Amino acid sequence: MKLNNTHHAAIGALLACTTAVPSAALADDLNVILFSMPYTQGLDQLEADFEEKTGHTVNIDVVGQDVFESRITLSFTGQTGDLDVVHTPVIQVQRWIEAGWLQPITAAVDAMDTKDDILSGPLDAYLVNGERWALPFFAETGMMAYRTDLLADAGYDQAPENWAEMLEASAALKANDQAALAMRVAPGQGFNMFVYPMIMRAYGGTFFADYPTDLTPNMNTAEGLEALDVYASLMNDFGPEGIGNFNFGEVAAAMQSGQVAMIVDGTSIVAQALDPDASQFADQISIAAVPTGPNGRSPAIAVHGLGVPADAPNAEASFAFIEWATSEDVLTKIALMEAYPDFTRASVAQNAEVIAKYESIHPEFLNLKVQMLGDAIGHYRPLLPQWPQMGATIGENINAAVNGIMTYEEALETSDQDIADIMAE
Amino acid sequence: MRRHDMSVKQIAGVIMMLVFLAFTFLPIIWAIILSFRPKTHLFEPIWQSPAQLTWDNFDTLARSDFPFALFNSLVTAGTSTILAMIIGVPAGFALAKGRSHRKFIASWALLLLRMAPPVGFVIPLFLIYLNVGLLDTWAGLIAAYMVLTLPMVVWSSWTSLSQIPDELIEASLLDGATLFQTLYKVVLPAARPGIVATAVLAFLIAWNDFFFALIITRGDTVTAPVAIMNFVSYATVDWGSIALASIVLTLPTVPVIIFANRYIVQSMGGAVKG
Amino acid sequence: MQSYQGVQPVFQKNYNKMLYPAVFAVGVFAIVPLLGMFALSLTDFHLIKSWDREFGLANFIRLTQDRRFISSISVMLMLSVFGVIFQVVLGTLIAVGLEKIVPRWRFLRGIFVVPFVVPAVAVALIWLSLFTPTLSPINAFFDIFGITVPAFLTTEYGAIGAIVIADTWASYPFVMLLILAALQGISSDLDEAASIDGATKMQIFWRITLPLLKPALLMVALFRFIETLKHFPLIFVMTNGGPGRSTQATNYYAYIQTFQSSNVSYGAAIAVFLFVFAAVISFYVAKANARLTDA
Repeated sequence: MKLNNTHHAAIGALLACTTAVPSAALADDLNVILFSMPYTQGLDQLEADFEEKTGHTVNIDVVGQDVFESRITLSFTGQTGDLDVVHTPVIQVQRWIEAGWLQPITAAVDAMDTKDDILSGPLDAYLVNGERWALPFFAETGMMAYRTDLLADAGYDQAPENWAEMLEASAALKANDQAALAMRVAPGQGFNMFVYPMIMRAYGGTFFADYPTDLTPNMNTAEGLEALDVYASLMNDFGPEGIGNFNFGEVAAAMQSGQVAMIVDGTSIVAQALDPDASQFADQISIAAVPTGPNGRSPAIAVHGLGVPADAPNAEASFAFIEWATSEDVLTKIALMEAYPDFTRASVAQNAEVIAKYESIHPEFLNLKVQMLGDAIGHYRPLLPQWPQMGATIGENINAAVNGIMTYEEALETSDQDIADIMAE
Repeated sequence: MRRHDMSVKQIAGVIMMLVFLAFTFLPIIWAIILSFRPKTHLFEPIWQSPAQLTWDNFDTLARSDFPFALFNSLVTAGTSTILAMIIGVPAGFALAKGRSHRKFIASWALLLLRMAPPVGFVIPLFLIYLNVGLLDTWAGLIAAYMVLTLPMVVWSSWTSLSQIPDELIEASLLDGATLFQTLYKVVLPAARPGIVATAVLAFLIAWNDFFFALIITRGDTVTAPVAIMNFVSYATVDWGSIALASIVLTLPTVPVIIFANRYIVQSMGGAVKG
Repeated sequence: MQSYQGVQPVFQKNYNKMLYPAVFAVGVFAIVPLLGMFALSLTDFHLIKSWDREFGLANFIRLTQDRRFISSISVMLMLSVFGVIFQVVLGTLIAVGLEKIVPRWRFLRGIFVVPFVVPAVAVALIWLSLFTPTLSPINAFFDIFGITVPAFLTTEYGAIGAIVIADTWASYPFVMLLILAALQGISSDLDEAASIDGATKMQIFWRITLPLLKPALLMVALFRFIETLKHFPLIFVMTNGGPGRSTQATNYYAYIQTFQSSNVSYGAAIAVFLFVFAAVISFYVAKANARLTDA
């Protein structure tokens, strides 16, 4: 049913008065919005350095992740022009580009004399449609942390190498009355959908029939089912009480307080578990590679960077900030200040102080991280504009399966249906 | 001596009240404990390491945006309450004592505004603010809070001012006072409990708001309930600071409610007696 | 009464004047955004794809076919109905306890009312930590006796129960205050007369006090019902709508559609549904209220 022309005019006028001219930019020279993580917290403290160096005043706003999403969505849509630099996760970049929310920074990046120092994987993750859209400051991958003492009690002198062994070791730990493994289960594109594909892909499961050429939904397969079964058993049979609502915060806390023997999560969470200031059992915690499956290993990957919103009034100043914020000097400072092993420049990884700091946490940490990054595939989570919405929905289904609200088949079947619906929109 | 008089039923009653007291207080005590625990012992039961306490979270809180956000909360919730009182109380008075055929519509509208989904308000509000430059300003947030506080104030002052005897108003009017003078010099002093209760309830609504502030503030006017969420960072959830911030956010209102609860009871009394 | 009719009409005009500022303010602050909501719900204002100026009822047709929307209504109603029941029962028991059972404890009223002022975000965060078994002191305590407290947030009804408990904790004081007010309005003569007639305290409570409290109970239940329909921070912080989608109440679903899936106008259509629903409920609340105050 359609409304008549008078109605159109009336509603149009109403909308016009609510969506007309953007307001003037806000007082500060540069407004930067970031979501809270060790790097951004460190950057916030270095604000004065940038002001001193460039003469621009800058207002760095570090907010919680949920707050961030609500904020930027409306700023972008409204084209408020109030943001000069925005935290740009790779996982969102396609969606933002399609919507016209970012402006390319290709020429400026190519003109940088230290461009080659930036790790090429994370840098090229922002190469879309032949243009560069952000500079990376964070490249996280998957890793395992485990309690050497608890595994020794259960008869293991090293961490499980594959997911089948993980199940056995978990059973042995369980026999000792010890919760074995914690992973994220809480529903969300960046929550359970950050860790679950590590198991799914290890068993040969995929989201699509043949990404990126054939985007037929493909989650409901024998491989997909087996992977979900492994994940759900690990969580339900051997995980700690309440695992079905765990997010990264609870995963980190469970390891730090000695409630579980193993976690498989992102490197920044593993670094928290190794941090003696936060972790009660730091000296008994060791690290290992993400377990493999019949189809090999697929460590999680998450890259975050800084981009320039399409409506940012002064693109040059924005880029000057990004260049400074991702410079060797700043990354090194933050790597030393915070638990931030996920820096994105080769020179930082060679810095003696940085090496010494992370070796003192665990001698193998940086090497293992490089190895995991090498094993990770760029499209660990599909790089599609629709992914954020799709990932959220699939995450709900997987969570429902783990918590017994859907059967495994139902969850996968529903996910395939949801993927198809979202692609068709 | 009197102990002997206590029947089984009374003892059961006392036990019931103690259980309720525990239900009320244990979460608060838990938050207080959390705010003093060092990161390494955060979730260890307090009886296992009672000596492990720290002031660290106070430093973290002091260095964060939280004190600034608390100030923003105070200004915006306070101002919108005052404005809503100035505009709303006369309206409540008019509805209580004036003769109107639209009283039912008015009460319906007030309740509807109380119930209306915030998601529905906030997006158009965002788009409007964008155009008139009210995003991330105190004025914008105060105006948004009027949506919450004004219906509350009109409704609550309407019920409490209904209890003022007509004779009192009559007398004042016959003495030659105007209606406004009557309201401010005669009615309001007589209705003090109701007016205090109204202001307190309105303030609490704005003070507790999360959703409006989430959408229409930025770094300059962020309020405390939103700032608490900033302690949930990627990597760790800083429970100690969260607990401390929750306590700090609650503290200013505790004396208010302890002082004002009898006024609330008094003013509600009239409403339910009819 | 005679003077009332004599003097008041002269002032009726002035009474009306007192209404104007409030009517104007409501118009500006509330009606304009609400009209915007209605307008948005009739368009295709997708955040990503640029919005074409086609107006129609497509969003509303989609609502009728959206299973998630329909199940969100039942989640919303469960949260509201159970929440209201628990809050009213607990609030009434405490009020009656303070007033009738242990009147010497009346001073505790100021204590029982404290959760009322804890902001919803703080309520949600505190209860989230209490409901996470690995973090919770409740679980640690019962572990000493070898009792495993089940995880609430990982089962469909457990998660709803957890939100209801947190909401009950924060909201029973409101009920308690209103019931205290009502109890003080009930004359103690009736109680005394009944006890002279040989009625026990229990009988007095069930036969006399409770029936007299009925209007107040109805009123407070309706008020709480209104508030619980708007749950946001508790869901947002404690469950993210999970496990699965079992705590995605309608208001939260509108938020998800708007901000997570960028379907602004579909979100607005859900908000319009909620608004119409609110209009119906508040109509009956207003009627109930009119009957009570006219009585």
